[in-house]
Amino acid sequence: MSISNGVNIWEIILSPLIALIIGIFFLGLARKIIARIHWRYGPPITQPVIDIIRMFSQKGISHGFIFDIGIILSLTGSFIVILFLPLGKMCPLSSGGLLAILYLMLLAPLGIALSSGEAANPNSSIGISRKFLLALGYEVPLLLILLAVMTHYNTISLIEIVRIQSTTGWSFGSLPLLLSGIAYFLILPAILGIRPFEVVGAAQEISSGPNAEFGGKFLAFSTIQHALHEFIGISLFVNLFLGGWGLFGILEPITNTVWSVIFGIIIFFIKMLIVFIVELFINAVFPRFRIEQAVRYLWKWPTLFAFIGLIVVVVVK
Amino acid sequence: MKSLKKKLESSFDNIRVDITKDNRLTITIKKDGIISILSFLKKLGYEHLALISCVDWIEENEFELVYILSAYMENDKEYTEKEKRSIIIKTRISREKAEFMTIINIFENAEPYERELHELFGINFEGHPRLTPLFLEREYEIPPFRKDFDTRKYVKDVFDKIPTIEEREKNENH
Amino acid sequence: MDRNQLKKWFKSPAKMGHKYSLHVIYFCTGCGIIEIPPSITTRWDAERFGIIPVATPRQANLFLITGYVSVKTLKPIIRTYEQMPDPKFTVGFGSCPINGGMYWDSYNTIKHLDKYIPIDGWIAGCMPRPEAIFIAVTHLWTLIDKEMADGYKKYRENYKYYRANQEQLYGKLEWPPLFAGKDKK
Repeated sequence: MSISNGVNIWEIILSPLIALIIGIFFLGLARKIIARIHWRYGPPITQPVIDIIRMFSQKGISHGFIFDIGIILSLTGSFIVILFLPLGKMCPLSSGGLLAILYLMLLAPLGIALSSGEAANPNSSIGISRKFLLALGYEVPLLLILLAVMTHYNTISLIEIVRIQSTTGWSFGSLPLLLSGIAYFLILPAILGIRPFEVVGAAQEISSGPNAEFGGKFLAFSTIQHALHEFIGISLFVNLFLGGWGLFGILEPITNTVWSVIFGIIIFFIKMLIVFIVELFINAVFPRFRIEQAVRYLWKWPTLFAFIGLIVVVVVK
Repeated sequence: MKSLKKKLESSFDNIRVDITKDNRLTITIKKDGIISILSFLKKLGYEHLALISCVDWIEENEFELVYILSAYMENDKEYTEKEKRSIIIKTRISREKAEFMTIINIFENAEPYERELHELFGINFEGHPRLTPLFLEREYEIPPFRKDFDTRKYVKDVFDKIPTIEEREKNENH
Repeated sequence: MDRNQLKKWFKSPAKMGHKYSLHVIYFCTGCGIIEIPPSITTRWDAERFGIIPVATPRQANLFLITGYVSVKTLKPIIRTYEQMPDPKFTVGFGSCPINGGMYWDSYNTIKHLDKYIPIDGWIAGCMPRPEAIFIAVTHLWTLIDKEMADGYKKYRENYKYYRANQEQLYGKLEWPPLFAGKDKK
């Protein structure tokens, strides 16, 4: 079944669903692994699902119209970004490529900001201001990295970038893009909002920040949005630098079949899992930056790497 | 400490100075002399007001105010743990007319202590900028730390008088 | 523990969700709070039952009052309780909130906490050990199963009387009634 210009309706339904499952699985996995690092038994891996069921059954307290709309806006924003991201070989919306993703990624924090601003909790306001400062911190290197990648592959289409990687090898392994890859890996904790960049939702400092006034179904939406956000951050890294669905030409014999799509998703998931677990270890052992330290760090090393990477790419070309 | 004792006895009248322990001095003085002795000791290097406390001597009908000062440095040299000195200054004021002058001009950190004493003992400190409640939410007829405050009677009258929800429901429906 | 029985999950997801995802807000009034860190960290690990501390009352569904309650701290307790979304459960920890404990004749400690907010369960002892918290949690599971942990419903129905008790203690409260005009009968 397909609509006019090659948009597959199954992909539009399946892609966000798989992203949601992977995101929530990552939340549960994070709690379990961190518990094991603490020498605890830890919650069951389905704990986020239980939490979300519990939150939906609790009565949410609304603070006004904008409060309701903001969280929906942020959730919608995250779902739309996922439609633009290749998930294995599935990519429901491909026009616009990286520029569209970059533009739409701003919707999610904006929605949360609207919502928390309406709640008028001082902790939420501090959290929101920190969120935007942190975004300002990692957007600069992120733009430089994307510019380097786009210059190197001479295209803005993410699908095209992944396809070229499947023939020429991963960009993380290619010499010109190595520095950009390292820079992206360094800012990935900031994008995911985990330690050492857990300044936004710091429960001990500012009562979980933007989430401070969310209860009931609003908190459930916020948790789902968080799961999707984690998915977006990691899958962008996997698509840009780890070759997306490509794995040493393993899918060559079964190209253009349903199996290639399914195995593409599985390979993609395994790559994401490895990146996520490495990030989790960083999260488990590091303390938290203060916001000005975080921004100073982000504007120093990752930006430096990204800038040199861009110059290298231009010179090599 | 002995030289300090001599110095104090020579420069103040109506004063009793005891050395209760090594490095600890207890001064008992009439209430007029408090301001002068505190500023005298502050100049000597006893710059830290550790506590203001109060004892209720109900038989003698008097409050005893206790000021505790200590010194940590002498001539820019820090004392070791054994050399640290403290001075306890005691004075008595009347219980009926519980009024005294504030010592904020000498030690600024006396402000919360005096507020606390005002709240718990009902001593009025003249010249204190804000004698507002510090800890307590309710108003007490007799300040609660005075010896003639009957806590058991108070608890019976206030907290035990509040009925449980079932009792209140029964009372209002009949 | 029936956390893995899928049949029950499909039958009553809300009840099971509340049982195995207790997000706790601790009200650290007295000495009781020293028993909380061991119970949520490595030694006793409350998280394996889905019990984690949260930072704000909006996200919580269990309210644990650990220690004596003075007249001044009762006000934040009432406000925190009223900010939590329904359904919510309360547990009084230690003997002080039950009947005053060692502060039974203190001039500034309210003796019976359940005169001011509804309490679903008590943990007796001075101090109860962390194991007692887990026993309390298993009891709370039974109560939730039998729908007997209905303090929040009781508060809504008898709000008039709770408010009257609060006002008898304070004289006048600064905040308006939570359920305006919703009386029983």
